Amino acid sequence: MPGKIKQIAVYGKGGIGKSTTTSNISAALSKLGFKVMQFGCDPKSDSTNTLRGGQYIPTVLDTLREKTNVKATDVIFEGYNGIYCVEAGGPSPGVGCAGRGIITAVELFKQQKAFEKLDLDYVIYDVLGDVVCGGFAVPIREGIAEHVFTVSSADFMAIYAANNLFKGIAKYSHSGGALLGGIIANSINQPYAKHIVDDFAEKTKTKIMQYVPRSVTVTQSELQGKTTIEAAPDSEQAAVYMELADRIAKHEVSATPSPLEISELREWAASWANQLIALETGALTSQAQGI
Amino acid sequence: MNSINNSYIERPRYLCSLGGALSTLEALPETIPVMHCASGCAGSIAWAQNGGSALQVGGHCGGLTVPSSNVGERDVVFGGTDRLTEQLKNTLEIMEGRLYVIITGCVTEIIGDDIRAVAAEFESGDYAIVAANTGGFKGNSYLGYDIVLTSIVNQYVKKAASKKKKSVNILGIVPYMDVFWRGNLKGVRRLLEKLGLEVNTFFTDEDSLDGLKNSSEAELNIVLSDVYGHETAKAYEETHGVPYITATLPIGPTASAELLNAVCGALCLEADVDAIVGAENKRYYRCLELLSDTYNDIDLQKFAVIIGDVNYAVAVTRFLLDDFGWIPVLTQFTDVLDGERQEHIAGKLKAPAPLNGPKVVFDTNASEVVRYINELYPKRESDKYAETIAPAFVIGSSLDRAAALKIGAPHLSVSFPVSNRAVLSRGYTGFDGGLTLIEDLLSAAVAMR
Repeated sequence: MPGKIKQIAVYGKGGIGKSTTTSNISAALSKLGFKVMQFGCDPKSDSTNTLRGGQYIPTVLDTLREKTNVKATDVIFEGYNGIYCVEAGGPSPGVGCAGRGIITAVELFKQQKAFEKLDLDYVIYDVLGDVVCGGFAVPIREGIAEHVFTVSSADFMAIYAANNLFKGIAKYSHSGGALLGGIIANSINQPYAKHIVDDFAEKTKTKIMQYVPRSVTVTQSELQGKTTIEAAPDSEQAAVYMELADRIAKHEVSATPSPLEISELREWAASWANQLIALETGALTSQAQGI
Repeated sequence: MNSINNSYIERPRYLCSLGGALSTLEALPETIPVMHCASGCAGSIAWAQNGGSALQVGGHCGGLTVPSSNVGERDVVFGGTDRLTEQLKNTLEIMEGRLYVIITGCVTEIIGDDIRAVAAEFESGDYAIVAANTGGFKGNSYLGYDIVLTSIVNQYVKKAASKKKKSVNILGIVPYMDVFWRGNLKGVRRLLEKLGLEVNTFFTDEDSLDGLKNSSEAELNIVLSDVYGHETAKAYEETHGVPYITATLPIGPTASAELLNAVCGALCLEADVDAIVGAENKRYYRCLELLSDTYNDIDLQKFAVIIGDVNYAVAVTRFLLDDFGWIPVLTQFTDVLDGERQEHIAGKLKAPAPLNGPKVVFDTNASEVVRYINELYPKRESDKYAETIAPAFVIGSSLDRAAALKIGAPHLSVSFPVSNRAVLSRGYTGFDGGLTLIEDLLSAAVAMR
């Protein structure tokens, strides 16, 4: 897609592996030859750490706090393989408005046409998963990202968060907002976990982009302040991320998901809970490996 | 009955709760408001007051000279308390006062700035600081009056060691929203002083900040409104054990006598209310005597349409029914009121046959008044001798001039916004206030001669 920047937002429940996944996608896309920017939209400001050798970078909002006028170029830092790293940042916990902070940071880049000037192929927003207010929905609103991917495990709370995100996407889909590319299923080591996310994807009319197993390689790489792509490029886990990046690169058409109503979601979760109990007690054994 | 959410938004008849809080503070002696809000708030409030409060706007530390944190985007993102701290520090240096009150706008309320913590940083024996969460979205200016006074009652008013006999506080007359607030408060004071009471009205030039500080000594709070001031009265009751009664804004002899009787009863006074009322009535009707012949000769009796806030709509309708002899045909309340309150308030406007009281409507859109009038006086082409509303008179706000012109009636503005009159000390409460209202009504009726 010459000349057209592909903007992607990655959402997911806190602690689910969003930043790890996003950084590995960025690293993998850069290895595929694309010019990539990773834009962390989380007040914790640690999205890009593993692209920068474990180093924190000054955030857009920290810089705005110091100076009235901030140039986008002042807050862009190069990381692994030439990836541009940006952290939106946010206020101290418990004060101010983090949501407005995200809006401010993203608008600053938009106004200064920073993405266009850098001739980027990809901008990947790594966004706090619980879309608690309008600020955290900014990347999926009109004119910013086109495709949203959600990182989710088979954990029900992660799926609740994904379902909420789907509601946000469905809401903005009528006004030119981003659409859903699919689910990146994370920490999928057991067959039942795969079944759960598959079932959720089917119910909400979306697809699974990749199944990413939980792997000690990721932990080892992160302890070195690196992505798996950088620290263990020949590992199986790196191959999983490379495949995911390739699928994202080839992904063209996103769609409006069909989020479950809260009562449907509860019923759905309850039916899975019953099945898991049945597996545990041995009443159901057909595919019970690993339990 | 219509409510605010059907149809469309008309020109509003009030400010936001921040506006109500600010104008309440502007009226308090030795009090400095400190706004914690975006920079446009003070301006909007000043111009709304300018256009609505019968040319009363500004004053010391009011209008466009009010201290304000004027928060910007950076304060929104990181929290605005640092900016407020700076503003408060500067205000304490520059503006001399004894009571400083922080009031919040929508923006700072949404981001949850802890204004109580900022106020606590500046605690001092030399002055007091109160923090009130008045974020504009909470409601209208009448609510703002209640929020800011409730905060003052809970945070500033001293706990009284004992009650002061025959001492009362007046609530429910909202400064600037009732453009006759000064005159009305004074009128109520004069009236109740006839019972030998010490009357604390907080806002007039005869009041002091100490009166407010010691107001929990009062034996009774008197709320002269069916809606406004009730939250403040409840705060007095809960925090300071001051009971309260509710009464209609007393315009003219009947309502004034009712108030005297109610207060006398509530305080178990031994005053001779009948004698007081008798003497006042004598004075009142001696004045009115001069008018009685002309009143009949030149046909000064009118069919009245009343449009106003809850205080004026009730008080003026009752005055016309009980004292003046005009015939209220339609009373429209422009407040946003829930069903229960609507029922209670509508019940206050009933009258015995043949008058029966006016048709009562609750509609925030006063441009609808002509439609309601047409419903009362339906016109058909075949009706050669159709009943019409004539001679009519419209008592409302400045916004209701258009309706008055449409039905060819004279018009008097009494309810906010009042932009076609200048009001400073005029008031309509008490026996004398009734005479003043009659003067104004009849002056408007004969103005074109």
